[in-house]
Amino acid sequence: MPTPTSPGSASSALKVLSLTATFNTTLASLRVEPTRRLSWRFLWVAPLVAALTITTVYPGIFLIALAVSDSRLGKPFRAFSALKNFVASLSDPLFLEALGRSATYAVASSFVQLILGLAIALLLSALVKSGRFLMSLILLPLMTPPVMVGIAWKLILAPAGGLLNGVLMNLGITDAPISFLGTAGLAWLSVGVADVWQWTPFIAILCFAAIASLPGDVFEAAAIDGANAWQVFRRILLPLLAPQLAAIFLLRLVIAFKIFDLVYVLTFGGPGFHTTTASFHIWRRALEQFDVGRAAAETLIFTLVVGVVTLPVVWLAKHAAKAEAGHA
Amino acid sequence: MSENGTARKVSRRSVLSGAASAGLGLAASGAFPRVGFGDAKFAGKSLNLLIIQPHVIAGRKLAADFEAATGAKINVIAVPYDQLLAKATLDVQSGANQYDVIDYWFANVGAIGRDEITLDVTEWIDRDKAEIQPEDYLGSLYDPYTLFDGKRWGLPYDGDSHVLFFNKEIFDKHGLKAPTTWDEYLGVAKAITEAESKNGIYGAAVLGGKAPIIIGSTYANRLAGFGGSFLTPEGRSALDSAAAVQAAKALKDIVPYALPTPLETRFEEGLPAFLSGKAAIIEFWSDLGVYANDPKSSKIVDKWEVVRNPVGGSNKTPRLALNAGYVFGIASGSKQPELAWEFIKFATGQKEQTDLLLTTASGIDPSRKSTLYSDAYKKFAPKVQNVLAGALENGLSWPTGPDSPQLQQTLADNLALILSGDKSPEQAIADTHKSWIGIIGA
Repeated sequence: MPTPTSPGSASSALKVLSLTATFNTTLASLRVEPTRRLSWRFLWVAPLVAALTITTVYPGIFLIALAVSDSRLGKPFRAFSALKNFVASLSDPLFLEALGRSATYAVASSFVQLILGLAIALLLSALVKSGRFLMSLILLPLMTPPVMVGIAWKLILAPAGGLLNGVLMNLGITDAPISFLGTAGLAWLSVGVADVWQWTPFIAILCFAAIASLPGDVFEAAAIDGANAWQVFRRILLPLLAPQLAAIFLLRLVIAFKIFDLVYVLTFGGPGFHTTTASFHIWRRALEQFDVGRAAAETLIFTLVVGVVTLPVVWLAKHAAKAEAGHA
Repeated sequence: MSENGTARKVSRRSVLSGAASAGLGLAASGAFPRVGFGDAKFAGKSLNLLIIQPHVIAGRKLAADFEAATGAKINVIAVPYDQLLAKATLDVQSGANQYDVIDYWFANVGAIGRDEITLDVTEWIDRDKAEIQPEDYLGSLYDPYTLFDGKRWGLPYDGDSHVLFFNKEIFDKHGLKAPTTWDEYLGVAKAITEAESKNGIYGAAVLGGKAPIIIGSTYANRLAGFGGSFLTPEGRSALDSAAAVQAAKALKDIVPYALPTPLETRFEEGLPAFLSGKAAIIEFWSDLGVYANDPKSSKIVDKWEVVRNPVGGSNKTPRLALNAGYVFGIASGSKQPELAWEFIKFATGQKEQTDLLLTTASGIDPSRKSTLYSDAYKKFAPKVQNVLAGALENGLSWPTGPDSPQLQQTLADNLALILSGDKSPEQAIADTHKSWIGIIGA
């Protein structure tokens, strides 16, 4: 074993000293040139900052500016109006009802789609190889443009000459056409069915991916212990999937809040205002009445509502993720 | 023939004299940049025409004719009829300036003028009046279609109004006569629906889709029939009249006997129902008279008749409502306003207008006296011409002020609430009146 006084150890000591000196020099140089270091860092994040400024900060400021001004589509920023647009929006029962409708619909439809999507994903997982092929098939509704989905369902649900009414009448179930899109409750149901048809495959594929990522040995162990299918689902699969399911639900919830295309094509917000969602209401305000100042204020209020409604789900997702990490 | 022929001669002379005088006077003064027609005069140039979807055939024909006459290419860009104003406004406001000529609904002329979406063409009309012949436009159309704030914002090219079409075969089968009052209309529709709904045939197709131009037109027919109007001569809401409420009640009363359901019926649904014999009556734009006799699209060729809209209440004089109605204006962001103006004059001129009236599915109705009363139109669409003659001159105009989009929307919303059963006619009209006062003042 070399000692500190041996030639070998002297050589090693020199190398260590040299490395230490180099390290100290580098450290010193970093200490004396913080500005240069920061410049480099800034350059690295500059594209992100620029992108965020363009896509988020500028539109955000523009939206706020519109909301506190008397702005028409053709002539924005005609006069400063302070909080007038917010007050008008918050005292407009049609807008408040539309907000409530959006929130209710988003939560309900997302919940239904999550259950259906998970069920389909479980079924496809059980099919193993053919499941992947079927998965690409059931994605077809998702690949269809929403407007086309709306038109297809409108043709199916039309009272005069519609496919569904034709079948119901031919089978003698009804003796007169049912107005699916012209009756309050049925109109919502119709929008919901079309929405479920379009979006459930998306949920299913996310659930399918989440299930595929679960460790197989846990299920094997459960099988050896004699757990039945329900016990496996309730005691193992669901707790393990909880964080992913919460995240999927959150994603779908945010998308469901923005439902517009189907409402536009199928019901145009009717009958009356029964299917007028917040996004449809805001669209009408901006592009039918050209009151973009008020529409901007309504958009900001709508954003807050979306935030408030999604907050518990965000918390739930975080809590589930922590719980799973704790178990791991 | 004489009306048509004379007008054509005047037009030719006018073009020559107008060009000569303008060339000497205005071009020398530099007040207006000028261009004129000539063979392939504008070859290599092109214009973008923003047009509503129902006018696509007309737009394509105009494009072909203008290119043949001048060499300029017209790109026809179609948008849904309820989105044109938003599209045109955004184009100008954003500075994109993609469009040169826009096809605006006359009820929006105030909004168009206030926001300067099209150019003020008052002086251009005055300059070229010999060629344009403003006095040839039907009296009730010209000002509502083009005038706001003392300025003119385009030239009319589609003089729309609703008339009442009915299926004579169905009427004869049930021994019915054309209704002359809204009560008779209800009775006839009820009789047919009760007898024929099991066969998929209904008494009436009622356009009640929640777009102002759809449900608003259906209401306007009744409002005019009951002798009411949208606004007072001073420009205030006139919806506090008995006629306004009676019209709303008439709208509600027809719902049970209409093609299911009025709220879901726009002209995309109503027109095929009538042409296929599934609806016995429809209030529709007068060009339906051309569709109805085209065997390619109609199963009721020579089985239909047309009359003026019924009357109601104390009113005994039928009156047409000016439903829809379109104008060509120069988009204020156009980089070729002179060429756009030449196209507009060409498209709204007597010859092209007559050709469009005689073109199946053009969607164009008369806006000029010379075309409405032309022999060619009388021969081509005799039933419709007979109904429109003498009636278009006194049509009921819609509000055209700058707040018209809000007024239309409020009215359409409340009318839809009547059809959905959420509001009584009295309540809906009272609420609309209140909203209108809030928008345009008491």
